[in-house]
Order: sequence, then C-alpha cells, then structure tokens
Amino acid sequence: MNLLISLRGELLKTKRTASIYLTIIAAAFGPLMTMLELLLDGFDGEDQATILEQLFTSKFQMTGLMIFPFFIMLICTLLPQIEYKNNAWKQVLTSPQTKANVFMAKFINVQLLILVFLVANQLLMFVGAVVLHVLHPALHVLNQPIDGKRVFAILVNNYAALLAICCIQFWLGIRFRNFIVPLAVGFACWLAGTILGMNFPLGFAKYYPYAFHMYPNFSQYKAVVPAIAWTSLGYSVLFLVLGYLDFRRRRMDT
Amino acid sequence: MNNTPIIKTTGLSYHYAKNVQTLFNVDLQVDRGSIYGFLGPNGSGKTTTLSLLLGLLRNQQGSIEIFGQHLHANRVGILKKIGSLIESPSLYGHLTAKENLEVYRAVYGASKERIAEVLNIVRLDDTGKKIVKKFSLGMKQRLSIALALLPNPELLVLDEPSNGLDPSGIIELRQLIRTLNIDHGMTIVISSHLLSEVEKMVTHLGIIYKGKMLFQGSLPELHLFQRKGSRLLIDTSDNRIAMELLQEHSPDWTGGSISLPFRDSKQTASINRLLVQNQLDVHLLQPKENDLEQLFIDLTSDHS
Repeated sequence: MNLLISLRGELLKTKRTASIYLTIIAAAFGPLMTMLELLLDGFDGEDQATILEQLFTSKFQMTGLMIFPFFIMLICTLLPQIEYKNNAWKQVLTSPQTKANVFMAKFINVQLLILVFLVANQLLMFVGAVVLHVLHPALHVLNQPIDGKRVFAILVNNYAALLAICCIQFWLGIRFRNFIVPLAVGFACWLAGTILGMNFPLGFAKYYPYAFHMYPNFSQYKAVVPAIAWTSLGYSVLFLVLGYLDFRRRRMDT
Repeated sequence: MNNTPIIKTTGLSYHYAKNVQTLFNVDLQVDRGSIYGFLGPNGSGKTTTLSLLLGLLRNQQGSIEIFGQHLHANRVGILKKIGSLIESPSLYGHLTAKENLEVYRAVYGASKERIAEVLNIVRLDDTGKKIVKKFSLGMKQRLSIALALLPNPELLVLDEPSNGLDPSGIIELRQLIRTLNIDHGMTIVISSHLLSEVEKMVTHLGIIYKGKMLFQGSLPELHLFQRKGSRLLIDTSDNRIAMELLQEHSPDWTGGSISLPFRDSKQTASINRLLVQNQLDVHLLQPKENDLEQLFIDLTSDHS
C-alpha cells in the first residue's frame, strides 16, 4: 500500500517530462523506419505473403538491437534526473516514505515506461500495417496470418534480456547527478557488448549483460535465449540490491 | 498538557570528513508550542543540525528524540507529523503549484481539500496552470512553505525561509509563522543567520557557532544574558586612581576609558558618588547596553 502511494507520487512527477515524449518518440522510431523502408524500397516477391508477421518479428530486430537498449539507458537516466534537476531529493527523503519504497517506486516507474514503450511500439507497427493495407490493398496485409505467441515471445525475451542493463543503468542514473556519466558508461558498454556478441557469441558474451540484446534478435541463438534470460534475471536481482544498498547509504541531498 | 520537549538532542556531534568536525555535542531542546529561532552565521552548523533532525543525514554520535521518540526508531511515523523546508525550494519546475502538492498529498495522508487550504494560506491559490519554473523566487519559497504545511504538521522546520523574499514577503512570512503558532498550535523551528529577522517572532532562541551551542533559552533569558554583557564606561580626571577605587567591580582599561560590568542604575549612582567623594572629576559615566544584534555578534566573535 505504501509502495503504491510512493508510486503514485512518482507517476505524477513524470507528467509533462521529457521521459514521456522520449518513450513515444523511441517507440515510433522502429515502425517509422520500417514503413519508410517498405514504402520506398518495395517488397520482395516471396515475402509479400508474410508481411504482417515480419513487421512484428524480423522488423523488430532494429528496435531490439539498438532502440530498445538506448531507450532503457536514457529512461533510467532521465527519471532520477527529475530529483537532481529540481533539487528535490531532500524533500523526497524528508517525506514519510521509506528509502526502500522511494527506490522501488522509481524502479517500477521505469518498468511501466518500458511497458508503454513496448505497447506503443506494437501499436504503431499495427498502424503501419493498416497504412500498408490501405496503400497496397492487393497485398491484403491485415488478412495475413500472424503467430501471436511468437510475437509475444520476442517481446518477452527482449525485455528479459535487457532487464540486467536496466538495473545497472537505473543504479547509475540514481547515483550520478551528472547525467552524462551513466549515458557514456551505458553507450560504451553497449558498443563493447555488441562487438563481443558478434565475434564471440557463445563465449564470454553470454555472461556480459551489455551483449544480451544480441540473443533474442538472431534466430541462430534461439537455443541460448532461455539461459540468457535467466542470467539477465540473476544480474537484475544482484544490481537492484546493490543499487538499493548504495542508495540507502549515500547522501542524496547534495 | 504534555511537557515533553518536542525536540531533544543530546550530545549531537557530526563530521562530514575525518578530522573536520561540524557539530560538537549539541544539546537542543525545543518546547511544545514555542517558536524556536535557531541562529548562527553561515556555516555554523544550522543546516547540518536540521538535516540530522529530519533524518537527511545519518546520526553519528548523540541521540535525537522527536515527539518523545527516538528518530530512527520510528522515522516515517515522526516525519508524518513534520513539515519542513530545508534551504532552497525543492519543487518540480515542470508541474503547477497544485500538482507539486498533489505529488506529496497521499504520502502525507492529506485530503484534497487541504491542497486548496494551504495554497490559500500562502496566497498562491490563483496561480492556475502556471508551472513552477515560471514562478518568482518568493512564490517558490511560499509554495515550499505550503508543501511544509500540507500534513498540518505538529512541528514545522524552516531553514532560512526568508531567503529570496523581499521585505514585504519577510513581514508576511513573520505574520504567517505567528498565525501558525498561535491559531494552529504548531511548534516552529526557524533557522536564520540574522537575529533581527527572527527576534520579533521567536519565543526561544538557540545560538550556534562553529558547531557549538553558545546560548539556548527563552527570550527573557537572552535579555538577562544580554544585560550581563552590558558595560559601564567611565572616564575621570585621574583614571589610575579610579581603577584602584573601583577594584571590587573588576574594571578593565579599554584605552580611553574604564569599562566594568554594568548591573543597574543604582550601581551607576554609587560609583559616581565614590568617584566624586574622592575628588575625581567624572567626565564620562555611560552604561553601554548590548542590543541583541550586538550580543549575537559578540557571542559569535568571542568564540572565533
């Protein structure tokens, strides 16, 4: 109950912030690029019968590999910045809330925005499908079959794989007043993870959280995705606990 | 009537870095129903003390009791009954005044009507959809006070609340504090580095300097203390003989005149009689009473 009250406060703070606009813009980026690609470059003959399925599966690859990790880094940095930017930590911490509730409410707020991102992304992709259906009625895009379970699995696997970096970035975002630090660390680690994942996908990359975004987005790694998801979950718990212990110990009002 | 002090600290000490002690055995006592002026120059330890009282800083040494309970035994429960404003306003610039209060309303368990009440108290009820970023500093300060009033607190802690306020704003703040104390029964702790700013409204004073409490008590006690600090200045035709005659008053030679502790007008008359009876011409016989401002300066400079 107290956590819900703290969460309510966090949600109210998010109103009219860049976080909301960022979520919608980031969610729209993938569908927009996909539409531009399909409308300008056209369709391969053999793919025309499965356009709808592709929109929600293979065309999610760009979002899963780049947009989604970047969005997580940005959102994990922007949300705690609300307190730093407004010099509001001391008001938060002198209000009758436990530090655990404050920390968890912020984390849940991040997760809710991630959920909004994924839902908005899928909805906008569906809007794209409607546009294709209208512009190219002969393709019957909206009448094509789609494997809902597969689409859902892709989303869940991407979310699970990125949960680890979400917890790390959340810790960094809450720890550093200067928002450049968590973003720079996150981007550098993501770049290293992408290179690592491409060159040694079944080696050390399996244990490096910033490489986990590679696995759910390439069919050849399908077999290791469950293991990656569990590893990511383990890291998430670890970094969430470490982040909280650090938050509890630190002076946040300076 | 509960006589337990609303705030009681015992031996409160704090250091930000090793070998840099900020507070030394601060024993603070704030009685229920009082307006406690917490005075000290900038950097004397006021904000550190208040931050410790509100749990913003981790207590290192000494104990803190608020409402008769140890702070860390029931921090959340205690904070529910405290409204606070620590230094500069802590407000969300992208939200309106009402939205800022709404963020904390449920946290404090306040009703929706309370938001309108506190905005009315600080005269910000007509700001509508204007976001706080566009407020003047004075308006932000008033909104911060509204936020502190939101829980209808038993204890209001205001750290330098007049920062950024113009003279009329300071007068309004003074009236508001008196009203909250008298009409709403709130105990108020108000810190300042200017004695003149708080002496007209406080019932009790604590003076802190370089982390040490120099004085703590009621205003009459301070006035007594002030009288003790007053001196009688004397200049005669032969100050050497006058010094000898006035030995029992522990006189000091202050270069140009004799200075001794001033008690009252009877003492002045008796000294005058003594000097004249010993054939000394009295050129100067002047009590120099400290005003509170001078006392504050003396207290804080004597210990530097």
